[in-house]
Amino acid sequence: MNKVILGRYIPGESLVHHLDPRSKLILSFYFIIIIFLANNWQSYALLLVLTLGGVFLSGVSFGFFLKGVRPLIWLILFTVLLQIFFSRGGTVYWQFGPLALTSFGVINGSYVFCRFVLIIFMSTLLTLTTAPLEIADALESLMEPLKKFKVPVYEISLMLSIALRFVPTLMDETEKIMNAQRSRGVNFGEGSIMKQIKAVVPLLIPLFVSSFNRAEDLATAMEARGYRGGEGRTKYRIHFWKRNDTLACIVFGLATLVLLYLRNW
Amino acid sequence: MSIHFEKVNYVYQPNTPFEHQALKNVTVSIPEGSYTAIIGHTGSGKSTLLQHLNGLLKPSSGRVTVAEKVITASTKNKELGDLRKHVGIVFQFPEAQLFEETVLKDIAFAPKNFGKTQAEAEEIAVEMANLVGLPDELLSHSPFELSGGQMRRVAIAGILAMKPEVLVLDEPTAGLDPKGRIEIMQMFEELHLQHQLTIILVTHQMDDVANYADHTIVLEKGEVIAAAAPKDIFKDPRWLVKHHLALPKATNFAYELQKTGKFSFEKMPLTEKELAAALAASLKKGGNQTE
Repeated sequence: MNKVILGRYIPGESLVHHLDPRSKLILSFYFIIIIFLANNWQSYALLLVLTLGGVFLSGVSFGFFLKGVRPLIWLILFTVLLQIFFSRGGTVYWQFGPLALTSFGVINGSYVFCRFVLIIFMSTLLTLTTAPLEIADALESLMEPLKKFKVPVYEISLMLSIALRFVPTLMDETEKIMNAQRSRGVNFGEGSIMKQIKAVVPLLIPLFVSSFNRAEDLATAMEARGYRGGEGRTKYRIHFWKRNDTLACIVFGLATLVLLYLRNW
Repeated sequence: MSIHFEKVNYVYQPNTPFEHQALKNVTVSIPEGSYTAIIGHTGSGKSTLLQHLNGLLKPSSGRVTVAEKVITASTKNKELGDLRKHVGIVFQFPEAQLFEETVLKDIAFAPKNFGKTQAEAEEIAVEMANLVGLPDELLSHSPFELSGGQMRRVAIAGILAMKPEVLVLDEPTAGLDPKGRIEIMQMFEELHLQHQLTIILVTHQMDDVANYADHTIVLEKGEVIAAAAPKDIFKDPRWLVKHHLALPKATNFAYELQKTGKFSFEKMPLTEKELAAALAASLKKGGNQTE
C-alpha cells in the first residue's frame, strides 16, 4: 500500500499548492484534452515544458512523479508495443506475418508513450498538491450549474467528501484486518488463484461489516448534529479565485495557441 | 519461548516524505514463561514492536530472535508462516476479524489454516469456547448476532485455538465493561499460570500491570527507556511523571498517604491487597501509641 502514489497528497507551501482547486481541476482536465491535439515532436516538447514547469513549481521531488508512472508501466509498454508492431505505413524495417516494424509504428508508439507519461504526470501533480477535500469542494462548485437539470449536486459532493475522507481510514482498517488474519494463518497473495481468491474472503467480509457499522454510526452522528440535507446549508471552506489562478489559465491558453500553431493539420 | 530484540530499528515508508522511524535501536528480552507488560505513551511504538513478534513486520535493521527463529530484514515471508502458529496476537478490538457464518467455524479457522482437519479443529473450537466462557448454544450462531463482549471472546478463542506458546495482547480489555474486563484479565492470568503461556500485554491500565505482570518494558518515542519488574518501575513517581506515565491506583494512594506524614511504607504497595496488608501492619504498630 506504500507504493501507491497516485491519489496521495503531499502538504506543501508552493505556488501550485496555493492555486484554487477549481482552477487546478479544470486545467488538468483541459490538459488531457489538448494533449490529443499534439501530433508532432515540437508540440509534445511544448507540453513537456508545460508539465515540467508545473512539476518544478510544485516543489515536489521528481522521484514521486516517476513512482506514479511505475504501477502503470506494463499497461503503457503493452499499448506502445501494440502500436509499434501493428501500425502500417512509412518505411518498413522488418516484417514477420502480421507483425511489422515501420517508421510510422515507431513514431506512433513513442507518441502514445509521451501521452501516457504526460497525462500521468499532470494528474499526479493535481493529486499531490491538492488535498482530497479540496478536490471534492472544487467538483461541487463546478457541478453547481447542473442543479438546473435536477442533478443532486449536494448529495453527490457529500458522498464524495465522505468517501474521500474514509479512504485512509478504510486502508488502515484493511491493513489491521489483514494483519489479524495473517496472524491466524492466512497467506495473502500466495498459492494458486483459487487459494488466493479464497484468502480474500476473511478480509472482505469484516471490511464490509465494519463499513456498514461505520455508515450507521456516521448517519446517527450527523443527524444528532442537525444535518437535514443539503438545502439551506452555509459553507465553512470557501475558495477564492486569485490572480495566480487567472495567470495559470492564461499560460494554458497561450500554450494552446502555440500548440495549434505547431500542429500539422 | 524466549524472545530477544537486538538493535532493532523499524522505519515506516522509508525514502518518502512520510518516513517515520517507529523503533530506534531496541535491544530487549522477553523471558520465557513471563507475563510481560509493554507500556508507553500513545505513538511510542508499542504496536510496531508487537508486530515484530510474529513476523508481520520485519526489522529494517537488527534482528529479532523468537525461540530459534531469527528474523532480519532479509527473512522471507514464507519462512514466517510457522512462527505465527507459536505466537498468537490478539489485536486491539479483535472482534473486527470475525467473518465466518458461525462462531464455531470462526474459532476453528486458525487451527484449520495450520493443518488441522475439520473434525480436530472443531473439537478445539468447542474446547476454546468453553475456556473463554461462551455458552455452547452460541456456537451455531452467527458471530455478528452477538454482543460486543461476546464477540471479543469469540475473537480471543479464535487465537487461543492455535494453541500458541506466546500470547500477545494489544489492549485486550479496551471498550469492555468493568465486569467483562476483570473476567477476561483473569482468564489470561489462568492461562499463564496453568498452561505456562508467555504473555505479552500492551496496555494503558497501570492497575493491570501491577496486578498481573512480572516484567515491564517501557517505551518512549520508539526507544526502550526501562525494562524491569513492575515494583522497580513504579517506585519513582517523578520519573513516571516525566515520561507521561501513571501510577497504579493503590500505589498512588500509598504515596498520598505517605505525604501526610502519618504513614510510611518500606515497600510501595502495587495492588490493593498489598496496600491493605501494609496498612494493617502499620495500624497494628500504631495501635500501641496513644494519641
